[in-house]
Amino acid sequence: MSEHVFQDASPQAPSGGFEPPKTSRRSRRLLNSLPAALAAVLVAVAPLAGQIPALRARADSLLMQWREAQQFADLQDSLRLGRERGGRDTIRVGALVFLVNRSPLPLREAAATAWPQIERFYGPAAQAFAQRPFLIQAVDPDTNEDVPPGRAIKILWNTEVAPLARALVAMADLGPLDPALHDWLGGVVVPRFDSGPGHAAVYIQLVTAPSQAAQRCYRGDRAACRDALSLSAMTDPASQWYGPAERRALVLTQYGDFLRRTSHGLAVRSCEQGSDESCLELLRSLGTLIPPLDYQARLTFLETAVRVGGAETFQRFLAAPAGPMGGRLAAAARVSEDSLIAQWRTDVLAARPTPVSLPVLGAWVALGWIVVFGTCGLRSSRWRVS
Amino acid sequence: MSNAVEIRELHYRAGKSFAIEDLDLSVPTGSIYGFLGPNGSGKTTTIRLILGLLRPRSGTIRVLGEPMPLRAPAVLGRVGFVPEQPHLDPTLTVCETLRFREAFYPTWDGDWAGRLLQTFDLDPHHPFGKLSKGQKGKVMMLLALAQRPDLLVLDEPTDGLDPVVRRDMLAALIDYVSQHGATVFISSHLVHELERMCDWIGVMDNGRLVSELPMERFKNGIKRLLVSAAPAETESAPFSVLARDRNGAATETWLVRGWEPGMSTWFDARDASLQSVIDLDLEDGFVELLRTFRTPHGKEVR
Amino acid sequence: MFRVVLYGQWKWSRIVVILGSVAGFALPILSVQGATSDPQRAMKAGELLSVIRSWGVLYPVLAAAIGLLIAIATWTPDHRGRHVLALSLPLPRWRYVLLRFTAGLVLLVPTMLGVLAGALLASATATLPPGLETYPVALAIRFALALAVAYAVFFAISAGTTRTAGIILGLIGTVIVVQVVASTAGIELDLTSPVQAVVMNWPGPLAIFTGRWMLIDV
Repeated sequence: MSEHVFQDASPQAPSGGFEPPKTSRRSRRLLNSLPAALAAVLVAVAPLAGQIPALRARADSLLMQWREAQQFADLQDSLRLGRERGGRDTIRVGALVFLVNRSPLPLREAAATAWPQIERFYGPAAQAFAQRPFLIQAVDPDTNEDVPPGRAIKILWNTEVAPLARALVAMADLGPLDPALHDWLGGVVVPRFDSGPGHAAVYIQLVTAPSQAAQRCYRGDRAACRDALSLSAMTDPASQWYGPAERRALVLTQYGDFLRRTSHGLAVRSCEQGSDESCLELLRSLGTLIPPLDYQARLTFLETAVRVGGAETFQRFLAAPAGPMGGRLAAAARVSEDSLIAQWRTDVLAARPTPVSLPVLGAWVALGWIVVFGTCGLRSSRWRVS
Repeated sequence: MSNAVEIRELHYRAGKSFAIEDLDLSVPTGSIYGFLGPNGSGKTTTIRLILGLLRPRSGTIRVLGEPMPLRAPAVLGRVGFVPEQPHLDPTLTVCETLRFREAFYPTWDGDWAGRLLQTFDLDPHHPFGKLSKGQKGKVMMLLALAQRPDLLVLDEPTDGLDPVVRRDMLAALIDYVSQHGATVFISSHLVHELERMCDWIGVMDNGRLVSELPMERFKNGIKRLLVSAAPAETESAPFSVLARDRNGAATETWLVRGWEPGMSTWFDARDASLQSVIDLDLEDGFVELLRTFRTPHGKEVR
Repeated sequence: MFRVVLYGQWKWSRIVVILGSVAGFALPILSVQGATSDPQRAMKAGELLSVIRSWGVLYPVLAAAIGLLIAIATWTPDHRGRHVLALSLPLPRWRYVLLRFTAGLVLLVPTMLGVLAGALLASATATLPPGLETYPVALAIRFALALAVAYAVFFAISAGTTRTAGIILGLIGTVIVVQVVASTAGIELDLTSPVQAVVMNWPGPLAIFTGRWMLIDV
């Protein structure tokens, strides 16, 4: 299955199929002129060092528009190719719109299963899917025919309803609507309330992450949780996430090879010999560090916020002004940030995976089997007289 | 007279090729019963059926008055068994083997076991698996005797042993029997050995009991006669004709049972001439008996 | 009676018992050694758990191996004597088999105790980062049960006749052959997965062997 989901903002054409959006020519012009615009902006920005944050925001916005334009162009290509190969059906379930070639794929049934879950998570924000149809190519599993090129999501048409519904939920990502959320999460938004395994994995992460922030968070320090989850602006991740011993271990094990090949060889040696200042400088020079609590933990935090805040949480979040992620999610959930963090931590600790101890029932079952097989030995025909 | 072992109408089949059919066998109490037969005749199978190691298809087996294999645990406590092949744990020493056996037999006589150990000249600390064949045989005989059984079942106990060992084992056996009046059921194809000690003989061949009778009758019963101008009919003969073989035109060799010296007159009355009467020893008698039995009209002799 | 049977079985299986006890004692200690001795590395809980998980695979393997060898040793003297001794003893046959079975279980105890002792010693000497705990007793009990289950399974197989073993092997072979033929013919037939699920998932007989074997865990 292709990994891309393409959501087009254009309305549906009257014929019942999906027509290329009227803005496609405009997006092509934008696409072609963007590099020049970007260069011009950058040149203008250079002497204006004091306006860096605003300029950065503008650059982000331009980048976003470029990405959208690229997607429109790809979508147009895919639609064209799809038309050439026998047309497409449009399937609507709730706000979900699917453009799919004719096939036995049980897409409508799967979408009917997935939609309530998606709507429960995103609330009114889920209506945004109406402007973002999914382009799906149902593929015959029994043929050697080449799958048509294009960016449509390829799905074998013998996929059953349950796994297809799960896949649709995983594809229903509204994260790109909020770039800051997308960047903070580091992955897609999966509109699903975890039944336990996700939180259990986060528990293990919390306990085993080689980070003082994560370990303090595990012990109850909410400020440490805020740092570990990057809920506030991280001015110095190297010192906020990691302690001296961890910094040294990071430099020597994670980044050592890379740093030694740069001009930082001396600093690496100094760090190796115990200079925390050197270790700190090296980590700062890298720009980005591996966060102690990554995508899975952040997704569960988002999920906690949505669960606490109710159906319109995500809508409120999208409407909230820019700011630290912790504040935005707490505001959307209509609780304080401390409360939200506390709730998330409670959920994670409650999902502690069962340690490898033997359940009482398991012990009795094993004893039972010992008796059964021992009896089989007693009852062997070699030993029975009559 | 009661029987220590009584088998009636026993049927047993092992695979497609071998079967014991309609076996009737009786071992009188207090007798030494020799069980003869060629290799593969069913001797060991019969012994295993008697001891309950195998299950018959039909028929009854009673050992010491108890049905087998139903009452095997109770009966086997009174039976001393020496199998054909060593069956003991090879890692245990002789002493440990005795202790193992002692734990299962309440009638175990430790003192006598110790005396037998000396009589047989066995090293008690030697592992059973490292003993010679003769020494293993002695150990198995010792174990069977030391538990003071009422019935001894011995399956070719001296097979492959040198004469000295055989003598020692049989001496101990005879000694026990004479003191305790136990019944002995011993199978062998060493005919001369059985000839000396047994008072009953049973001959097995191809799953059938060919003959079962007291030893004296068996030994004295079969003669070879050289007859010239032999008469055709033999129904009126006072003896049983087991076989007739022509030796050329004029003479025949007759194998007969129940011959007595005065019976030569029967030939005279028929213008036949009895040239000679040849005594057969037990081995010859056994061979001739089997040969007779294997002919198309061979029959069981009792 | 039990003492002489136990003694006889001990003579056959003493090497296995001794080696099993040593291996059982060493396994928990080796699994935490190195992972926790260095305070720096001790902070890396993720790596520690990964090392413990890797070593944990050896517990069910050891249980299966020792169970198999003790079961074989239980019946070896009888197999060599073609069961003539056992069948000619003056006690009910089921009682003799029970004597053998129980003696074998007793001979498993040293290995079980070895694992318990090793796990307790390893737990006492390990330096653990916060959030991790040791489970020496639970691990030892689980190992003991797995060892006893393995022994019972192989004991039953060894006690059976050749015909029984042939029937069991025939059934297994038939399942495999049918699966292979169906796969070759393109027929969608999955026999092995359901059988595997029944045997390996609770409350199947081999379920105790599956899952993680962790002396140290969250």
